[in-house]
Amino acid sequence: MSRKLISIAVLAMMMLALALPVTSQSMGEVVPPIIVHSVTQAERPIEYETTRLVVENMRELGLEVEHRAIPWAQLIDEIWYSRTEESSAADRPFQMTHWRMVGRPERSDPDEFTYNLFHSSVRDGGYNFIGYNNPEYDALAEAQRVEVADKEARLGIICEAQQVIRHDMVNAYFIHPLTPQVVNTAVFNPDSITTQAGIGVHNFWTWIGIEPTTDDKTLITSTTSFLNSFNPLEIAGDAPSRVTEMTWDRLMRINPIGVPEPWAAESVVWEDQLNVVVTLREGMKWHDGEDVQSDDAAYSFEAALAGTMQTKDGEERFQPEAPDYYPFASNVANIEIIDDLSLRFTLNTPSAAFETSSLAKLNLIPKHIWEPIINDLLTQDDADVDSIQEEIPIGSGPFKYVAFDVNEFVYLEAFEDHWARPNIDAWIMNVLPNQEATLGQIQAGEMNFLWEWPGDPGVLQSIVDDNEHLDLFSAISIGMNYFAFNVRYAPFDDVTFRQAVAHTIPQQFIIDNIFNGLAAPADSFVSAALEYWRQCDDLPTYDFSIEGARALLEGAGYSWDDDGRLHYPAG
Amino acid sequence: MSRGVAYYILGRFLQSVMVLWIIVTLLFLLFRLAPSNPLASYIDTTFTKQQEAALLARFGLDKPLGEQYIIYLVNLLKLDLGDTFSYSGKTVLDILGADLPNTIYLTLTSLLLAYAVGVLGGIVMAAMRGSAFERIGTTFTLMTRAAPQFWVGMLLLTFFAFQWKLLPSSGIGPPMVRYRWETEWDKLMSPVFWRHMILPTFTLALYLHGLPLLLMRSNMLEVLDQDYVTMSRLAGYSEWRVMIQTAARNAMLPVLTALTLGIGYSIGGNVVIEHVFSWPGLGRTLVRAVQQADYPLAQGAFFLIAVIIVFMNFIADILYSLLDPRVGASAQAQVS
Repeated sequence: MSRKLISIAVLAMMMLALALPVTSQSMGEVVPPIIVHSVTQAERPIEYETTRLVVENMRELGLEVEHRAIPWAQLIDEIWYSRTEESSAADRPFQMTHWRMVGRPERSDPDEFTYNLFHSSVRDGGYNFIGYNNPEYDALAEAQRVEVADKEARLGIICEAQQVIRHDMVNAYFIHPLTPQVVNTAVFNPDSITTQAGIGVHNFWTWIGIEPTTDDKTLITSTTSFLNSFNPLEIAGDAPSRVTEMTWDRLMRINPIGVPEPWAAESVVWEDQLNVVVTLREGMKWHDGEDVQSDDAAYSFEAALAGTMQTKDGEERFQPEAPDYYPFASNVANIEIIDDLSLRFTLNTPSAAFETSSLAKLNLIPKHIWEPIINDLLTQDDADVDSIQEEIPIGSGPFKYVAFDVNEFVYLEAFEDHWARPNIDAWIMNVLPNQEATLGQIQAGEMNFLWEWPGDPGVLQSIVDDNEHLDLFSAISIGMNYFAFNVRYAPFDDVTFRQAVAHTIPQQFIIDNIFNGLAAPADSFVSAALEYWRQCDDLPTYDFSIEGARALLEGAGYSWDDDGRLHYPAG
Repeated sequence: MSRGVAYYILGRFLQSVMVLWIIVTLLFLLFRLAPSNPLASYIDTTFTKQQEAALLARFGLDKPLGEQYIIYLVNLLKLDLGDTFSYSGKTVLDILGADLPNTIYLTLTSLLLAYAVGVLGGIVMAAMRGSAFERIGTTFTLMTRAAPQFWVGMLLLTFFAFQWKLLPSSGIGPPMVRYRWETEWDKLMSPVFWRHMILPTFTLALYLHGLPLLLMRSNMLEVLDQDYVTMSRLAGYSEWRVMIQTAARNAMLPVLTALTLGIGYSIGGNVVIEHVFSWPGLGRTLVRAVQQADYPLAQGAFFLIAVIIVFMNFIADILYSLLDPRVGASAQAQVS
């Protein structure tokens, strides 16, 4: 008995002696502390709370994690300017951050996100700040861009791109926000409000279609963001962009289901992959009474392409006068005027997104006003269109400017000569940075359309419950919230590690408790709102499971020491 | 004016210039060393390196810090505050020039109201010392002084604007009225403007009236103990005349100084009220400029506020030297 016991003890000791060096050999370095960025609680409480929650869960994996909340302007600075391959760890490049992209009509084509978020060419200076570099993916991003003729084939490529990104887990998408908006239905017919896929009810179609039910035909809304400028050749921000699209027409417009359709153009006919003939509607007028003609349409693109070669630091480069719009026109090789109403665009390379991101994006501008301005700018080295502000801007859209005051208000009236004259007579937007005042005004009737609500969605729900004359509208956004990983550095250079972190995000809990249900689950950079581009096989899922995350790490050779700290695989 | 007073004023002037120079230098450094990039508001998925370089060059941010500093000082001397980052075709001076009148209207009206009520209230309280009115009045005044302005503003908004719908909640007038104002005079002649001014003015005055009231009250109590007041009483003047003509006139001096300084500080300190009531003034522009990392605009706003404060300090000093001969005399003694 005792011999048996002794032999077992000896055996156990021998095994222990053998095992000890093995475990210490199989354990790599401790995974160093991780910093997760987000904006501050005061700025966007929802993003802050989400990050706090995920950080807690990541600690369960045996990681030392710090949540660093900083103001947005500073966050941009840390993320945007700390990406170069050479930055040493001492420079503390960002590792993981909460991020969001907002929905805009021109993002209804998947091209912008497919290309600009992940293509390796925009890794050093563009929006691929996570440093993703995958030649296989690059090929897909390029292929979808030129797959013009066959929409099915393009869908196949877009789906594959989504599969790759979901598998590689470089961005952990978790929700598409539902953009909540409140309309005073005592003064507007709720059935005349259009929901645009991925955008919400504050869209062009609502502005021209909304029917007033009383004698006061003025729509009054407000914004908390900035009304800096109204310039058809500048993208000044979200609120000004929404205004410029009402006052300057476009050849095509993105319709409520997210597809470009002819607008100021009567027809858009592709002759082949590179040539497209556009014919304008007859009888269109500029707000100053002049006719809209094909040379105006041609000039709208030429102005976006205008620029000079400039030498800077011994390097010669092209400096466009309209840098914001240049990228959307740069694929145009030639524009030929056929007659007063028709013109032919010839492209450099076939582009599937040309209708969405060029014809439906560039504002039509009157040549008689802009040609002298652009010619003058071409003679100046240090000025571009961003320095131009017309006193009363002239467009040809269904609304015209009556007055505006930067960062105060903009006051538009229906343009009587427009073929799609709006049902309302005037459209006013006030800058109202105080959220409580916004709530007060919509309830008191001082404002009748609340189009932007950066605060807690639950608050809106409660005021709608309390006020019979208010209705809440919400739609899934094209935008999304996610955690971005800097894949240049350890530990986020390891796909398994990123996948494990993705398992720590309690998606449904965040939707139910932080967003009060006003969010839809996300798993891709293509929003569920863009139904066509989501007809893909199921993407990989990452259910919330700390155990699953640990198992994944264990399978890849990660291990935990006695203190529960996570170690890299050996070697 | 004696030589001493002249020297005193010159000295004060040079001091003010020095203070301004220090402020200007601090502003320059603070904004450039602040941990946020001026390009933050431009970044978009289509933002490229080329655009970044062009933007930096356009605002001179690619030059060495020393060179930027010299350019900045020279421009300030020419009163050129530069172009804003975020408003097309506008200079900082355009934007601030449009804001300044609104801030001045709001501030001066509130100050006048606050000091009128404060001075009278102070006299009455001194006269009624020990009464229930005085106790309640003092408590109320201390409360209004301690209450956060945004809170008072929101309370007034909730009741007067949203519940009872008596007064407008924000801005200086609805756009359909505003765009017809071509000059400041049109604006001042518009009843709409004054209606919009009621709530913010009242909120600010409620806060501001405490200082003159308490100051006046304690000065009055001090003055009332003086021999000449007793003399007046003995001479058989009415209590009213003793209070107003004899005591109040003397007790007013420190309140006047407070008023001059108050103008300076209030113009810079309206940030909260301008935000709550969306009042298009300097303070609100300052906040938005900082949010947008619009350095030239924020710098310009801070600079303007600093100039006003330093200038009002300077005026207060001069007033003192003129009203109180001892100030000039002591300066003369130092000089000789």
